[in-house]
Amino acid sequence: MVEQPDQAPVVARNPERSLAWEFRHLVPMVAVAVVAVVVWDLIVRWGVWGILFPGPTDVGHALVVFWNSTRLVRAIAATLRRLAVGFLMSLVLGALLAFLMVRFATFGKGIQPYILGLQTFPSIAWVPLALIWFGLSETTLLFVTIIGSVFGVSIAFADALRTVPPLYLRAARNMGSDGMDLILRVTVPAALPHLISAAKVGWSFAWRSLIGAELIFATVGLGFLLESASSVPDIAGVMGVMIVILVIGIVVDQLLFTKTQEWANRRRGLVPHR
Amino acid sequence: MKGAALKLVMLGKRFKGKSGETEALRDVNLQIREGEFVTIVGPSGCGKSTLLSLVAGLEDATTGWVEMDGKRVHGPGADRIVVFQDAALFPWLDVTGNVEFGLRVARVPRRDRKERVARHLATVQLEKFAHARVHELSGGMKQRVALARALVLRPRVLLMDEPFAALDVQIREEMQSVVQDLWQRSGATTLFVTHDVREAAVLGDRIVVLSHRPGMVSQILENHAPRPRTLKDPAVEEVIRRSNEILKAEVQWSNNQTKLLL
Ligand SMILES: Nc1ncnc2c1ncn2[C@@H]1O[C@H](COP(=O)(O)OP(=O)(O)OP(=O)(O)O)[C@@H](O)[C@H]1O
Ligand SMILES: [Mg+2]
Repeated sequence: MVEQPDQAPVVARNPERSLAWEFRHLVPMVAVAVVAVVVWDLIVRWGVWGILFPGPTDVGHALVVFWNSTRLVRAIAATLRRLAVGFLMSLVLGALLAFLMVRFATFGKGIQPYILGLQTFPSIAWVPLALIWFGLSETTLLFVTIIGSVFGVSIAFADALRTVPPLYLRAARNMGSDGMDLILRVTVPAALPHLISAAKVGWSFAWRSLIGAELIFATVGLGFLLESASSVPDIAGVMGVMIVILVIGIVVDQLLFTKTQEWANRRRGLVPHR
Repeated sequence: MKGAALKLVMLGKRFKGKSGETEALRDVNLQIREGEFVTIVGPSGCGKSTLLSLVAGLEDATTGWVEMDGKRVHGPGADRIVVFQDAALFPWLDVTGNVEFGLRVARVPRRDRKERVARHLATVQLEKFAHARVHELSGGMKQRVALARALVLRPRVLLMDEPFAALDVQIREEMQSVVQDLWQRSGATTLFVTHDVREAAVLGDRIVVLSHRPGMVSQILENHAPRPRTLKDPAVEEVIRRSNEILKAEVQWSNNQTKLLL
């Protein structure tokens, strides 16, 4: 037998630099934000739209006012709570539906076109019906969040499950795994990178649906805050809340999905390009 | 043959595809003794992989059946383990996770599991790589993990489908001696598919030559050369020469068929 070399030692990083090092990939992102704000400020100073187009300082000030009155914090908390509950329920329901579609191929074939259709159906168009069913309640907001994302989630989950190489399933069945054991031990981990992408698709659906529904009616939440700032009209406030919505989108995407996806890929040696 | 551990009876397989039916195997009869090492060679596409899938229970036979100790087998089972050509290791698990996969499925208690995994990693000399990830392994190392993953389950029957075809010559010869060694220690009845006649002659107690598709048993050669064997043993050389002759005729036949069709 040929001698095998030892595993390559992990290269030790300079500990003092390591924190900044961890975030080095954020540098281009931050740079783009800075440039965008500067350009925005210059356009405002140029003064084309006057009062209709407030600058970064006005918007910052409006956000501080919202923050000090605790309206912003409460809005963020309410919206994120709805999002978490709605998104999780849509993941569970979507996974169930995807499983049925993959497990029972004929059922899958029959239902897929409808689900695709429902996926493109504007989630806001569910609001009138939801209002009749559930009234001006939290349930209506959750319903719209779930219904707006569950179809996208189930299609993406089903696609992810179909990517599992049959060879893995054969090898696992050969070693005695079947049924639920096979699904949990092989199908899910084998599809994990795709499942994470699928969840990411679902979250963006859920996020859009929820903010949309909150705009139509809500007594607390980012959509509501946006709507009430608009009716004042507090233009700087409107733009401030829009920026908050954007930032939350970026943060969730980066922290929840991009990170977990990189982790899942790195574990199996598929290192993505940064 | 009396006391055959593994018996293939009139085994046949037809696949229904979009372009009609493919008959992969026809009426294969084979009796294999407990602990015997049987190698299978045959032209490409003659149904060698199909044969192993049928024995493993991963596919259902169209005709005939497979018996172990006189009982028909149905479906897959951890008593008949396949080592696939490209190892088929699970990339989301490390080496230990792969080797203990079947033990976890069988709910073997943790301590027993750890002990058996460690012992089998040692027999394939991969102790140092217990926590390496699959993508960090070379082709030869992957196949050794696949061997450990199979043998840790103490299968009665070991089914190997061209396990070393993708390896370069040097590593392949090294793996051949690893397999002989492990086979002698484990006592598993072994069916080993290869397209390399030399490999078949070094490893097999008997060499089964299959015909062109649909695969039928064309001839069975006995190989009494003493072990451990090398390619240079006169007895092995003789087996290689005879196997080659039969195989050439089969390959010739299928080539001619192809020409006729063109
Ligand atoms: N799942 C399947 N569906 C349809 N046809 C199949 C299937 N599996 C195998 N076949 C066909 O059966 C025949 C035998 O295939 P098999 O893979 O067993 O051959 P083989 O002897 O292992 O070939 P090779 O030496 O190239 O590995 C081939 O014609 C192949 O196309
Ligand atoms: Mg094959």
